Amino acid sequence: MLTAQLLINALVLGCLYACIAIGFSLVWGVLNVINLIHGSFIVLGAYLAFGLYQWLAIPPWYAWVVAAPLFFIVGYGLQRLLLNRVITAPVLVTLTLTFGLDLILNNAMIYAFKADYRKLTLRPPLGSLSLFGVVVPVDRLIATGLALALTGVLYWLLRRSRVGRAIVAVRLDRDAAVLMGVNVKSIYATAFGLGAALAGCAGVLMALIFPISALTSSSYLGKAFVVCVLGGLGSVSGALAGGLLLALVEGIGSATIGPSHATTLSFALLIVFLIVRPQGLLGRKGFE
Amino acid sequence: MLHPTSQRFSLIAALAMTAVIGCGASLARAADVIRFGAPLPLTGPLAPEALKQQQGYDLWAEQANKAGGISVGGKKYQVEIVYVDYQSNTPRAVQAAEQMITQDNVNFLFGAFGSGAAKAASTVSEKYKVPTLAATASSSQVYDQGYKYLFGTFTPNDTLTTPLTEIIRKQAPDVKKVAILARNDLFPLAIAQEMDKSAKANGLEVVYFEKYAIGTLDHSATLSQIKSLAPQWIFITGYTNDLLLVRKQMVDQEIKASVVTMIAGPAYQDFIEAAGQSAENLTSASWWHPAERYDGKDIFGSTENFVKLFRDKYHSEPDYGQASAAVCGALFQLAIERAGSLDHDKVRDELAKLDVVTFFGPVKFGANGQINSLDPPVFQIQGAKPVVLFPPVIKQGELKLGVN
Repeated sequence: MLTAQLLINALVLGCLYACIAIGFSLVWGVLNVINLIHGSFIVLGAYLAFGLYQWLAIPPWYAWVVAAPLFFIVGYGLQRLLLNRVITAPVLVTLTLTFGLDLILNNAMIYAFKADYRKLTLRPPLGSLSLFGVVVPVDRLIATGLALALTGVLYWLLRRSRVGRAIVAVRLDRDAAVLMGVNVKSIYATAFGLGAALAGCAGVLMALIFPISALTSSSYLGKAFVVCVLGGLGSVSGALAGGLLLALVEGIGSATIGPSHATTLSFALLIVFLIVRPQGLLGRKGFE
Repeated sequence: MLHPTSQRFSLIAALAMTAVIGCGASLARAADVIRFGAPLPLTGPLAPEALKQQQGYDLWAEQANKAGGISVGGKKYQVEIVYVDYQSNTPRAVQAAEQMITQDNVNFLFGAFGSGAAKAASTVSEKYKVPTLAATASSSQVYDQGYKYLFGTFTPNDTLTTPLTEIIRKQAPDVKKVAILARNDLFPLAIAQEMDKSAKANGLEVVYFEKYAIGTLDHSATLSQIKSLAPQWIFITGYTNDLLLVRKQMVDQEIKASVVTMIAGPAYQDFIEAAGQSAENLTSASWWHPAERYDGKDIFGSTENFVKLFRDKYHSEPDYGQASAAVCGALFQLAIERAGSLDHDKVRDELAKLDVVTFFGPVKFGANGQINSLDPPVFQIQGAKPVVLFPPVIKQGELKLGVN
């Protein structure tokens, strides 16, 4: 019974991790930008959901409708106005820029919302489902559904839509894409906007599950980073695979060698992957 | 009409004059001011706790200055607190303390936040023989260094766990198995180890004792394991964020127990508000509680008056960190006034001699500098409010069993 519970825990947690990482993976894979502001976007999304529920009684599943376009616009603007200026510079430059932007956004959030921890508590709570003694919280089930849906939508977008195909084209060969008449700057901004929108949506969901504070942004960023390396860049389903693998390793590690070593185990796995399989589980060569 | 050159000259002369007068004024001011140095982690992961501690110092300084200042041998001195942010980085706390003594010329020091940083920074204040009051250091390792100038207002960690265990033993005889989960951090781990000791000393079986890493995002695997062991008492340590997360996941996994204790979250109002219904019947212990009723000889007087002043200024309920910071200021004031001097050794001797009731409780320091006169309260969240169970003098209610 305990084993079944541990596996279910890992499965839903893995999907949660995939939600956190999917936007990060897109931006890294397409723009080759390690977007350090990602964690703060997630926290901002969580605050948005909290505010909408607390003051306007809008439940989180409707908050997505507000969060997605809002974060897309912010992300698009940020890329267009700032990041595009240094996008061709070495990766360290964009890393430093997003690091700086993250410091500004994070401290602005601490200033605006204070460092107190908040919690979005639904009235009535969503509760848990219990089946043969195995318990699954409903909010995490929703996260699982959302992770699968986001992966599906992104997959469809990149494969079937015109914008998506342009994104893939730019990723594969920037110069050839320019020659084919693709507006690269606009495509970059669109991809970054999409990444931000995914972060915002993930944040809305995290508000249901985790305490909300600007101080948690680095935890989200850390998880996103590990998931991307494990799952592989340049692959939509990589985030899902990476998330599941990470959650499984953490769960098993926590149950066998103790919770304080679960993180050590996941980072050891990260190092092994970087050495043995730098492209990740589902990544393609050339994107590592 | 003045010539442009002489116009410029008169402007410069005026500026110079202002500067000289300004300097003179600030020198005069500096002479009538007592400067207290407070190294705090105002940014970084410990910022929430540090900002609270700062509120305590500020409230004291404001009250002391409102009353005309600290009186030293018949002369009144204004209080000024010098803050340096050490960015949650302990080595920087040591540098900050040294900088305050050698460059900012502070007269006295407050300890850095928590046991670890307070211990590290105390080497500097001892070297320069500057009396230091640590507001948030409880671990005995801070005080067993044989230092003469360091004093602290938190009793050792076991004074929190022992009364709690005794209450549970007496009032919940069905509690036999205890599970302990601790944040792998100096204070949370130390308090968990004390809990382990006091549980075993009281004949309880510790079925689970594990640590979780700082920054853990998910406790589901750990909690599933605890659930499978069916303990009647679950004891979890950490800070607000960790404990809110663990509590939420306990509800998610439908983990129930007769007693659930969390240290230090439930002592903070933001924890109670954020946890909502799930905070009900959680037990905890801390060094001070707003429900206490002491009639003090310090500047704040009664506990009620302190709570009122705090509410008026910050529009929130004070917790033990804020109260401890404020009482440290008030104790310095008492010691300086009794010494009638700003001399470091005289003030140090008065601190060592103190035996006084304050709004925080009775204050008397042991030979090692750590307070030994407090009975830290044990309390339980009932109806979204903390209800004191111990000590008997300020008891407000009975222990309720069952946390769902």
